[in-house]
Amino acid sequence: MRTSLLLGLTKTVLIAALIVTGGTDAPVAQETENPFVTSVDVRMGLRLFRQQCGRCHGRDATGNDETGAPDLTTGTYQNASSDAGLFKVIREGIDNTAMIGINPNASDQTVWQIVAYLDSLNVDPGDVDLPGTPATGQQVFNGKGNCSSCHMVNGEGGRLGPDLSRIGERRDPDELKTDLIDPNDEVNPRWWQMKVTRQDGSVVEGSRMNEDTFTLRIMDDDENLWSFDKNRVRSSERIETSTMPSTEGTMTASEVDDLVAYLFSLRKEN
Amino acid sequence: MKRLACVVTLLASVQLAAGQEESSSNQITSAFSPVTWERLLNAADEPHNWLMYSGTFDSQRYSRLDQIHNRNVDGLTLKWAYQIPEIDRAETVPLVVDGVMFVTEAPSNVVALDAATGRQYWRYEHELPDDLRICCGRNNRGVAILDEMLYMSTLDAHLVAIDARSGNLVWNREVADHRAGYSKTAAPLVVKDQVVTGIAGGEFGIRGFLDSYNAVTGEQEWRAWTIPGPDHPDNESWAGDSWRTGGSPTWITGSYDPDLNLVYWGTGNPGPDWNGDVRMGDNLYADSALALNADTGEMEWYFQFTPHDVHDWDAIQVPILADIEYDGETRKVMMWANRNAFYYTLDRETGEFLVGKPFAKQTWAEGLDENGRPIRIPNTFPTPEGVVVSPPIGGGTNWWSPSYSPRTGLFYVNAFDGEQEYFIRDEEYTEGEQYTGGGGNQVLPMDNYQSYIRAIDPATGDRRWEFPIAPRSTTGLLTTAGDLLFGGTVDGYFFAIDAVSGQELWHMAVGARVHSAPLTYAVDGQQYVTIAAGNVVFTFGLGD
Repeated sequence: MRTSLLLGLTKTVLIAALIVTGGTDAPVAQETENPFVTSVDVRMGLRLFRQQCGRCHGRDATGNDETGAPDLTTGTYQNASSDAGLFKVIREGIDNTAMIGINPNASDQTVWQIVAYLDSLNVDPGDVDLPGTPATGQQVFNGKGNCSSCHMVNGEGGRLGPDLSRIGERRDPDELKTDLIDPNDEVNPRWWQMKVTRQDGSVVEGSRMNEDTFTLRIMDDDENLWSFDKNRVRSSERIETSTMPSTEGTMTASEVDDLVAYLFSLRKEN
Repeated sequence: MKRLACVVTLLASVQLAAGQEESSSNQITSAFSPVTWERLLNAADEPHNWLMYSGTFDSQRYSRLDQIHNRNVDGLTLKWAYQIPEIDRAETVPLVVDGVMFVTEAPSNVVALDAATGRQYWRYEHELPDDLRICCGRNNRGVAILDEMLYMSTLDAHLVAIDARSGNLVWNREVADHRAGYSKTAAPLVVKDQVVTGIAGGEFGIRGFLDSYNAVTGEQEWRAWTIPGPDHPDNESWAGDSWRTGGSPTWITGSYDPDLNLVYWGTGNPGPDWNGDVRMGDNLYADSALALNADTGEMEWYFQFTPHDVHDWDAIQVPILADIEYDGETRKVMMWANRNAFYYTLDRETGEFLVGKPFAKQTWAEGLDENGRPIRIPNTFPTPEGVVVSPPIGGGTNWWSPSYSPRTGLFYVNAFDGEQEYFIRDEEYTEGEQYTGGGGNQVLPMDNYQSYIRAIDPATGDRRWEFPIAPRSTTGLLTTAGDLLFGGTVDGYFFAIDAVSGQELWHMAVGARVHSAPLTYAVDGQQYVTIAAGNVVFTFGLGD
């Protein structure tokens, strides 16, 4: 059994369907900072989002495979890098895409409240008081936990689990803790294992990089890439559990807290 | 000269239909000839063309062409590709008329191409306002044709007539006020000298209707409201004034039976979509099949699939018409695999319910009663906390055209065994704003679910076979006299399977979501198969 952490990460970061088609540096609103950021504004923004945006982006803003609308909970947007940029996208839409602007009758306050709601989905790590220490967690990650044998962070580490360089943008501390203690709670289909039996009876196993109706691509434990035509193998079998071991019994509670703190600190470098 | 072109191409089609070898000859005559009403009525007899959205008035999406068949389909190669300049998700079903292909593009444009090479004749770009109200993308699904005129729906809820030879605008008719939430995305249906056309906007609290316009002048011939007004007893199926904002749009193209002179059209969800508390009652005629007199728009009968729908299960599927053996006699039927995950066979003369069985995973009904009305399972309505129900909002199927092959006697549908967590919320109606009253969350990543092409016996509703697709397909289907069934996948495959057995025969990676329906046609003795995927129209044929 390989020792690795977070192979069970499952927050689906949906492939964004909207195409970058223009800059967002010319906000329509005169303000460049959101004047509507109270908890009431966030609640109003939630309501407005569900009414105006939820059909495509999902009720909880995590995107929608059916519509192709992207996940808006990651803290990173394809077409905006600031609140003012978000305002412009919501107000005007994005040219030549399915993203149309909000009803022209909507007030600026309405748009800003939606921005406030989207901002509320992304927690500033500086505002969260966690019991663990990121620096200690990093030592556990690279040392006792041996997490880096499977996970890459900023270009260093293994390939057998998800890249965690920006995991703090996608998972909150509670989710991260669950990922560590119970990796099988939710397993992203990307990290299911596949067992392929070829016509000659030989078997290749590996993580499910991409599967479709007719073909399959996997990475085996030696990080070799394989592609199969399903018509030319004897069978292909899904194993929908995680290969990541639980931290339970191998790590102390404080080590888990430290790991959570470290992982939650991993974000896009400014 | 134009008349000669028509004759030459017709001869080619007869030979193709008979399965004879056709030597390729250079086309020395001009392309395109007027599409008369008689040609439309007999569209099945000229399979080298694709003259309307669903191919023929019975909407079987079956072609008599058989040059490409189940023994040589693995020899299909790319003949040409056309890149749509507007970036969106192509849902177009092009028409083909005597060597000319008419392709609609997002948001509301149309281009005429040489169907043999994919090269452009002309292009029409519809000017749109900047305050559109659309729920689900900037889509257009195709045009209709009569004589030398094309008819197209536009996102600002207009119907336009375009000269098929030049692309010039002939007339432009506002069907409804787009600022109130109305839009138009579906291909119209030409019936006699009329253009029958539906409306979208079920997420904006519209009051739905089906319209007919004079094909020459653009003057309105009739309007059939899909929600009856207070002077009609069925209005009582709506609490209070909820009928005024009750949705019931008509956003996919219907079918026509010339012998019965009936237009068949499906209606969409009642509004608000997920909050039925504000519109208690059955909400007639939302989620229904309507049979309308083609000359007057008067309703002959209706059949409501999902009374008091609270899951957004529009009944806008394309009705397939055929005469089949049922219970020892030949019946004129309508086949319908509904978004609510039940398959239905109805008598299309009377609307009588004949057959009803689930064709996809469903957890909301114990079954259908003797009249086809669903027997609901308690506690499946949306709640503030969320409730998981199958099928999902997208349905057991959706607007993706099914197909019927008279050679196999089977009905083919793109089915999805999925689920959704449904929510309800309070919402006030404001004109031009979305009015949905709830929503849905995806429960698991899509790879946990499965789509299938399912072959159904319309006399029993039983499944003959199924072809699994991992994980998802949202395309329409096409069957041919070569015993082929064509379809696609969301992860970018176009494929052919055997219409008799369901066995895979051929697939091609086309690189992006297939979200349209395939068609087949022939030019100069060569059969082609066309599919739009992503923003590209691909056309395949057998190698030289």
